[in-house]
Amino acid sequence: MLSRAFSRGGLMAILVAYTAFAGFPFLWVGTMSLRTTTEIAYNHYGWPSPAHWAKFRTAWIDSAFNTYFANSAAVVIGSVAVITLVGSAAAHCLARYRFPGNRLIYFILFSSIILPPQIVLIAVYQTLVEYNLYDTLWGLGLVYVSLQLPLTIYLLEGFFARIPQDLFDAAKVDGYGDFEIFFRLVLPVGMPAIATTVILNFILLWNEFLFAVVLIADDDLRTLPVGIQRFMGDHFQDIGMIATGVMISVLPVVVVYAFFSEKLIQGMTAGAVK
Amino acid sequence: MATVQLDAVSKSYGSGPLAVDNVNLSIADGEFMVLLGPSGCGKSTTLRMIAGIESISAGKLSINGRVVNNVPARDRDIAMVFQSYALYPHMTVADNLAFGLRRRAVPKPEIARRVREVADLLGLTPYLARKPSALSGGQRQRVALGRAMVREPQVFLFDEPLSNLDAALRVNTRNELIRQHHRLGSTMIYVTHDQVEAMTMGSRICVMNAGRVVQTGSPLEVYWNPADTFVARFLGAPPMNLLQLPVGTGERLLASNDSATVPLTLWRPATLAPYAGQSLIVGVRAEDVRLGPPPDATPSGWFRGRIDAIEPLGAETLVLVSAGAAEVTARLGRDVPARVGETVTLSFDAAAVHLFDPATTTAITREL
Repeated sequence: MLSRAFSRGGLMAILVAYTAFAGFPFLWVGTMSLRTTTEIAYNHYGWPSPAHWAKFRTAWIDSAFNTYFANSAAVVIGSVAVITLVGSAAAHCLARYRFPGNRLIYFILFSSIILPPQIVLIAVYQTLVEYNLYDTLWGLGLVYVSLQLPLTIYLLEGFFARIPQDLFDAAKVDGYGDFEIFFRLVLPVGMPAIATTVILNFILLWNEFLFAVVLIADDDLRTLPVGIQRFMGDHFQDIGMIATGVMISVLPVVVVYAFFSEKLIQGMTAGAVK
Repeated sequence: MATVQLDAVSKSYGSGPLAVDNVNLSIADGEFMVLLGPSGCGKSTTLRMIAGIESISAGKLSINGRVVNNVPARDRDIAMVFQSYALYPHMTVADNLAFGLRRRAVPKPEIARRVREVADLLGLTPYLARKPSALSGGQRQRVALGRAMVREPQVFLFDEPLSNLDAALRVNTRNELIRQHHRLGSTMIYVTHDQVEAMTMGSRICVMNAGRVVQTGSPLEVYWNPADTFVARFLGAPPMNLLQLPVGTGERLLASNDSATVPLTLWRPATLAPYAGQSLIVGVRAEDVRLGPPPDATPSGWFRGRIDAIEPLGAETLVLVSAGAAEVTARLGRDVPARVGETVTLSFDAAAVHLFDPATTTAITREL
């Protein structure tokens, strides 16, 4: 009894320590977002008093964060939607259908995960220029899709391959064709894995900086991570405004995570494919 | 209601041996046909070819006289119950039952009526709103059965549907299936490796081994007249006792050695003449063997040996005896007046003897 209480206590202590470890930087940025750079320079860890809520307005309207936010949302939501649909369809094909070259395609996709994206940066830049897609959100979206598709297919293929073949056979006998089976069976049953890739892709692309800074030149087309950079000068960094910008940009990630992690846990506990 | 006809149907995967080898089978309208055999004998593959979820490499499959080799599963009007139940995990029981009907554009009120009817019949009404994960094994099995029944198909296919259930539930579900077969009168094809299921459920049994049909017939016909040693051993628990014994040449035909003598009164001497001086495989079912020396009145045979083990099963007792090199099992009554280690004589009527060709292992037909 005593040892159980101790082990529970120990677990609680670890969880509290981890939460503090993970939560403190967030809280710190949160407090900084409501303080001016001068106040922060005076006391790094001070509590915001008074809280400068107007900074959010300044960032949103005067520093064009509304435009950056809209650009980020359009590119990332669009890309994630395409990645999810195409990725799950491809993963389903690779996991379920036997055709010549199946494993070759899988191997090529898998090997492209290993390469660091920086390697293709210049080639991608050249290609986009050739196709008049440089400095467009469409171009950036296409690059995002191609960057994240292999990993998405890889993750989903592993999950889809574990869905019992009997379910597919039962659906076939019940009268369903290949496309209907994909939409009515694979997508709903694979939802836990799909939710995982949605979260992963959304967070990765929402924070993506390298391709966004190289492939977009027009200020009106910039995404949030590049927009935050505007507060960084060569000699002066507006820490307070950076924190405000970061808080604006982090909000959708938190919302997406909260929504989909719920789905993810639901999917896992409902489980029982058999 | 339908007939199913397999003409020289084969299935091959790549260059390996045939998974199903030249199967000829005719299943009558309303018949309950059981495909029986050990794991890997091709029975499930045969069923899956009938279902249309496995392609046919060679031969012809017809349902109701129509060749369906290239007809997709959805257009064959068949329903299948899987060993794993294969319930759609994201749907409720009601949706699982209705899924197949929705695809066939059955009007909504009709779907609701049929789902209600089948749920009532199988006792699933209280669970209609539940997901499969919230059901017990038996309930899931009934949903799987219901999903097939609600479609009112021409042919029902069952792929070892009871093997994941515990013993008591298996007996109940077995009886339920027999009842449903009588009620619906549909053609049913049932795959199992369990001989009890085969014997109790089938109008006919088709025993398969290594991709081939070994024997087809009514359960008792197959049990009492096995076509070869495989069927003789596969059907029956304990399996049929098989001994290799040299055939004598005297006037009264005997197969015998020091520890066994088997009279061969059911065969003409001319039939067995080619085997004179050779060994034949002699078979006697365990329930035909009794403890004690043979009575004088009826022509009988005997085994003699030491008791290796006695297995009391309650209603009966299995006695394992080493008769020379062979082991013989006798299925005896509740009380056996013998002990392990004791030397005993077991006897049996000459009418209980089966003979098999040692080279081909096929049965030598009884003639007298």
